[in-house]
Amino acid sequence: MSTAQGQAIFRDVPASPPKKPHIGQRAWQARADYLYVAPAILVMLIVIAYPIYYTIELSFFNTPANLQLSQKQWTGLSNYTAILSSPVFWKVTWQTLVWTVLSTFFAFVLGLGAALSLHREFVGRAFLRGLLLVPWVVSAVAASYVWKWLYHSDFGAISAMLTAAGLIDKPINFVDNTQTSLYALIVVNIWKEFSFAMIMLMAGLQTVPEQLLRAAQVDGASPWQRFWHVTFPHLSGVSTVTVLLLVVQNFNSFIIPFIMTGGGPVGSTQIWITHIYELAFLRQRWGLGAAYAVLLFLIMMTLGYFYVRALTRGDESRAG
Amino acid sequence: MEQSPTTRRIDGWRWSGRLFLTFLLGFTVMPMAWMFITSLKTGFAAMQYPPQWWPAEPTLENYWRLIDPSSSVGQDFLHYFWNSMWVSTLTTVLAVAVAVPAAYAFSRFRFPGRNFLFFAVLLRNMFPAVVFLVPLFILMKVLGLVNTHGSLVLTYLTFGLPLAIWLLKGFYDNIPIQLEQAARIDGATRFQAFFLIVMPLSTPGIIATSIYSFIGAWNEYIYAYTFLTKHDQMTLPVGIQRFFSENATDWPGLMAATFLMSVPVVVLFLVLQRYFVRALTEGAVKH
Repeated sequence: MSTAQGQAIFRDVPASPPKKPHIGQRAWQARADYLYVAPAILVMLIVIAYPIYYTIELSFFNTPANLQLSQKQWTGLSNYTAILSSPVFWKVTWQTLVWTVLSTFFAFVLGLGAALSLHREFVGRAFLRGLLLVPWVVSAVAASYVWKWLYHSDFGAISAMLTAAGLIDKPINFVDNTQTSLYALIVVNIWKEFSFAMIMLMAGLQTVPEQLLRAAQVDGASPWQRFWHVTFPHLSGVSTVTVLLLVVQNFNSFIIPFIMTGGGPVGSTQIWITHIYELAFLRQRWGLGAAYAVLLFLIMMTLGYFYVRALTRGDESRAG
Repeated sequence: MEQSPTTRRIDGWRWSGRLFLTFLLGFTVMPMAWMFITSLKTGFAAMQYPPQWWPAEPTLENYWRLIDPSSSVGQDFLHYFWNSMWVSTLTTVLAVAVAVPAAYAFSRFRFPGRNFLFFAVLLRNMFPAVVFLVPLFILMKVLGLVNTHGSLVLTYLTFGLPLAIWLLKGFYDNIPIQLEQAARIDGATRFQAFFLIVMPLSTPGIIATSIYSFIGAWNEYIYAYTFLTKHDQMTLPVGIQRFFSENATDWPGLMAATFLMSVPVVVLFLVLQRYFVRALTEGAVKH
């Protein structure tokens, strides 16, 4: 039965008339439908639309440190030009890219490996899956403190393990070192989020038809060929969504650098969001922070376009 | 499940899989284990190098202190814990109440603007919390919600809603519309059909949505850090900072506190994880 017929009984309106009614008419006929989404939309409007408008406005003004809005001064694009001509901007952007790319890549690869290893049924599989998901469930605050302790320069367990294994002579200072700090934090981030990729890809693996894999095997395909030519293409949709979500999440990371290093030492772990936070809340440069946020919007909207497209590809073909 | 022929002959692959899993398990478990081991140490035992891999004299002292309402630390900790519980529960209840009708409408109805609204909801996921911080802080001031839990609940709702709506929509998409039609033909109203037929079938989705909302609210840090300045309002992720100071951190106490903070969400998740996994499979992946 087609959806159109199905709907007719439901919505207490005549089955689709021969002439397509005007959009206002259709909206009026469907007025009861809007009631269902109204609460969600209302909350979203208050907490999202208003802040977006407000941030854009703020980015064109110089606002005094006390956030006295009546005293703000129009400065045009000067906040934007100040950002783009600042060397700090390029340093922070580079670090954000390193952070995002490395975190996403390794989280995805570890997640894919875990999903493939856990795909087959074996004793203790659910338990293992649960255990691997724990980092994703615990709060980033807890994770940051634990890793800070593991990396501790005097009593850190990681240094101790490396020493015990004979790899190093004296404890390494992972976090308070401009050379290693960013990478040390990336490890924490990967630890925190690889299981998100795992769970998404495990779900995706269930859609790979078993018959195709069998057929490929009968035809003499090697395990690698079966993975590359059968499994992987079936995972492409969910992989796209997963990678996009990881990229967005990593671009928006805040808690791990904020708690573990506060962006230091010497700004070596400063990424976009911690930088925005510092500009706005620690240095009260509201206009500059807002301009950063608007630039971030633009980047995120671009990613968002691909996200929605990847997400609704199946939906469109079904509804269409 | 019968053994799949795809993996029978190739022991090399299976062994490398096991090796990989072992490595990954070590990587995953080590920090959690170290958190727990440290929490059993005295302050003196924790400050040793090389560390005691297992405390020479394990003690639950750090935990007793946290849950003892007569000590000042315990009083605060229990207060934070209760605040977190209250905010997370309220957020979860409201998120489900708002997401269920919205997801149902997005799944079943074809009203004009449906796609646009659905995308708008999904796009919320794209924006970082920090970006909303300044305007929301001002908004909360206007609404008189600063230093109340209402500011957090309202904000957390919008975090949870997009994924909640998306997951639930996946569930409703998979419930045959004929079931409701049959009920309608038998004389049920639209609401009866929804509550008696669709709701029970989507319970796993609602459970999954609830877990997600609860964990998100429980773990949230930035807004709680900014919106709440009064000590007795704070939630756990923010309150726990009292154990941390650059010079004289009480590491065992901090580890015990992070451990207790992690217990509720981890237990909740492990008990209900099959719903969550299923929701992702049904809603997010299968098209």
